[in-house]
Formats: sequence, C-alpha cells, structure tokens
Amino acid sequence: MKHIVKIMTLLVAISALWVGLLQTSMVPRSHALLLPIYFVVCLGCYGLLMVGVGLMQFPTCPQEAVLLQQDIIEAKKYLKPRGVDVGFD
Amino acid sequence: MELADRAVGLLLSFVSLSIFTYYTFWVIILPFVDSDHFIHQYFLPQEYAILIPVFAGMVLLCFLCVFIGFVMLKSKKKKA
Repeated sequence: MKHIVKIMTLLVAISALWVGLLQTSMVPRSHALLLPIYFVVCLGCYGLLMVGVGLMQFPTCPQEAVLLQQDIIEAKKYLKPRGVDVGFD
Repeated sequence: MELADRAVGLLLSFVSLSIFTYYTFWVIILPFVDSDHFIHQYFLPQEYAILIPVFAGMVLLCFLCVFIGFVMLKSKKKKA
C-alpha cells in the first residue's frame, strides 16, 4: 500500500509542476504541451537501458555450473537404487 | 553463451540511447532552431513526434491484451 502512495505522490507532483509550467508560460506553449509524452518516452528508454546494462554485466559463474552438474550426477546415482527416477523431462 | 548475452545487451543499450538522443533533439532542441537550417531535413515533421510514441503505445497495449486473452483461452481449453 505504501509503495503505491509513493508513486501517486510522485505523479501528482510532476503533474502539478507541468500545470504550473503551462500557466506561467516561461517556455513556449507548444513545448510545454509535449513534455508528458517526452517523459514517458524517456522512462521507456531508461528501462531498456537498465535491461541492456544488466544483461551485459550478468555474472555466469562457470565453476559453479560444473559443481552443479557434478551434484546432479551424484544425486542421480544416490536415488536410483532407492527407486526414485529423476530422468529428463 | 555469455558473448551472445553481452552482444544483445550492448545492442539494447545502443538502441535505447539512440532513441533517447533522437527524441530529445526532435522535441526540445529543434523548435529553437531557425526553419532554414539544414538539420531540419534529417527530422520528420513535428506532428510525428506525438503520433509515433502514441501509436507504439497503442500497439503494445493491443498486443498485451491479445496475449493475455490467448493464454487464458489456452488454459481454459486444457482444463476442459
């Protein structure tokens, strides 16, 4: 519940800023009217950028992968004589 | 494997950065430039700056709705 309240307050603050900017007309009017779409596009771009950067920096841990495979083989050997079949599905 | 991931990540960040700079130029800087500057011929008319994001948003929304409906139908068919 608190998270949505935070997001709502942020949205209300930004829209108040936008309406204020429209009223005082410090920037040309057509400019100020385009600002919300610009912010939405910016947000989308930022999300894409974070996804790209995260993909680039993802750690793969190759040693852990080898250890995991060994663990799987051990577990299969242990479970098979006891009647549990962990085949590929 | 991780090289392919790296390449996709790099491509994504590059695309997002280029979209961001192009759109910033289009919406913020271009209206302040004189109309007979040569740079105007590299950018589409200003109405498209609104049409293209709104259109893309609508397409995304429609695609999401279609996808959700498809998944719901498939799960209902499997249960019945």
